[in-house]
Amino acid sequence: MAEISTIARPYAVAAYKLASEQKALAKWSEMLSFANAVVSDAQMQAYIQDPKVVSLDLQVSFLKVCGDKLNENAQNLIKVLVEYGRLSILPAIVTAFEELKAQDEGTLDAQIIAAAKPSAAEIKDLVKRLEAKFGKKIEANVSVDSELIGGIKIIVGDTVIDASVKGQLQNLAYALTA
Amino acid sequence: MQLSTSEISELIKSRLENFSTSAEARTQGTVISVTDGIVRIHGLSNVMAGEMIEFPGNTFGLALNLERDSVGAVVLGDYEHITEGDICKCTGRILEVPVGPELIGRVVNALGQPIDGKGPVNAKMTDKIEKVAPGVIARKSVSQPVQTGLKSVDSMVPVGRGQRELIIGDRQTGKTAVAIDAIINQKGQNMTCIYVAIGQKASTVANVVRKLEENGAMAYTIVVAATASDSAALQFLAPYSGCTMGEYFRDRGEDALIVYDDLTKQAIAYRQISLLLRRPPGREAYPGDVFYIHSRLLERAARVNEDYVEKFTNGAVKGKTGSLTALPVIETAAGDVSAFVPTNVISITDGQIFLETDLFNAGIRPAINAGISVSRVGGAAQTKVIKKLGGGVRLALAQYRELAAFAQFASDLDEATRKQLDRGRMFTELMKQAQYAPLSISNMAITLFAANKGYFDDVPTNKVLAFENKLHGFIASKYKTIADAIESSKDLSGDNEKALEAAIQDFKATNAY
Repeated sequence: MAEISTIARPYAVAAYKLASEQKALAKWSEMLSFANAVVSDAQMQAYIQDPKVVSLDLQVSFLKVCGDKLNENAQNLIKVLVEYGRLSILPAIVTAFEELKAQDEGTLDAQIIAAAKPSAAEIKDLVKRLEAKFGKKIEANVSVDSELIGGIKIIVGDTVIDASVKGQLQNLAYALTA
Repeated sequence: MQLSTSEISELIKSRLENFSTSAEARTQGTVISVTDGIVRIHGLSNVMAGEMIEFPGNTFGLALNLERDSVGAVVLGDYEHITEGDICKCTGRILEVPVGPELIGRVVNALGQPIDGKGPVNAKMTDKIEKVAPGVIARKSVSQPVQTGLKSVDSMVPVGRGQRELIIGDRQTGKTAVAIDAIINQKGQNMTCIYVAIGQKASTVANVVRKLEENGAMAYTIVVAATASDSAALQFLAPYSGCTMGEYFRDRGEDALIVYDDLTKQAIAYRQISLLLRRPPGREAYPGDVFYIHSRLLERAARVNEDYVEKFTNGAVKGKTGSLTALPVIETAAGDVSAFVPTNVISITDGQIFLETDLFNAGIRPAINAGISVSRVGGAAQTKVIKKLGGGVRLALAQYRELAAFAQFASDLDEATRKQLDRGRMFTELMKQAQYAPLSISNMAITLFAANKGYFDDVPTNKVLAFENKLHGFIASKYKTIADAIESSKDLSGDNEKALEAAIQDFKATNAY
């Protein structure tokens, strides 16, 4: 069985290419997140999953709910998704789309977890260093977790920079028991 | 509570001292699913094929499938504590095992960890388990013998240092016995032996180790065991681990002998892993690369030349060649050599020793079928004296087989045919040998010499082995110089030949057998 992200990727790439050709990335982003909100609605979920609903009905009613928030191209995307029975993976498509957008704009989301709340100057310095390391703009998302005991942990995509006391204690435990 | 040997304060102190506290940047992923030792991981975008992955609880895995959105990895060892959502990290390393002379005499698992209860292996070095075999330039042709101590093997299917000789046969035909005898006979031959047990019962492995100990063979042997209760991943990896331990000696200008017992089980373990990783099944449900797992393993058994050894050791060892001789074992089902794995391994190796159930049940042990057992390169490496004297054995046995089938229907035969049949019967009897009783070169030469000269012809078939045994005893006690001369020169020169003939005549005249 293929994973959801594998199925969602071609749709996201197609939407992204179209959006960048039309230079309407922000508009598309807005439209997709709106459609995502509609899909995520509990009532709509039940409606999508109802086996008695014919795909044409679903398509018409879905677009009606969205009203004039979607332009013609976005409406077509919804039509294609309904036709292929893939409306339920729209959240994954939106995520993939946003990733592509961020990649193109050269921004990376960095999760900075600290044991104690860092000062604004510290965060600024950290972001500057991370930007130098990854060569991209960093959007920092700072949170506090006292379980780290001390230090910080930075998560950028799949890469984790662990400079926390907790992580080092764990490593020490491994080194001693190995 | 038990005290562990690693809990000595000095050891802990040095570990604390050397513990680095710098921040580490590593790629991490999330476990999506755990099924039968196979873990699917999301993330790990920079993982390499074959890289070790660290799971929580100090467990490691091996990345085998790199897909677009996920990584398929196999857990080495227990996987019960790994759950969905666990974080795992890349290590940037290929799997390594300890290597070196410290391993000799030990029983270790596929990861090189001791399982014999004799404390930690204090190996100074580790090495990657998957390595590329030496190239054409680094090699040298096989020209030195490996004495197995088995009359039938050494005379008919000689094995050379650096050769790959397959031992193939049904279950219960004595495949392991041939391999173990070969290991036992390496005492004092400057040969380090490695016995890799794959998918066998733990009790069988324990028996083998005990037999090796009893015969003093553990002094130069490493046992790598991945028993039937170990995970498929460990059973798959054990041959590569053993091979790396053997390569340590090969690359340093020494000789090593490795027995893979058996590769059928390894292929089955690999099939299990592959099917669980959802790789497409092919013939007999094996994956497409089952040939490659065996060819890349057996290609590492080689004889390397002086230049290679000198370069490898940075000039520390000069003018010595190194070798790794492999004796892979394959178990067939009902004698079917045309099954997938047997055909593959037959085509990879430099010959095979074919063992048959019928012969085994008829009391011919080792149950070697002389007709289809071959050694493609061993002839060049055969000991001179055995080569000279053993040439007739193969021929006599071949003629005997042909005539025996025919003679079943004929009631009276002419003199020549009868003689040939008698001779064949005698040679068949003579090729029998007890287990754990390898023969020295001199004894083997004496036997073959006497048989060639016809001194066995008037011995009743059921007395042949007793005659041989007494003859060896007689010469060892009365004509020791002849035996010593053969042993040291590995040849039978004119004078010695005459002396030996006289000695045998003396034996026949004086001794009752």
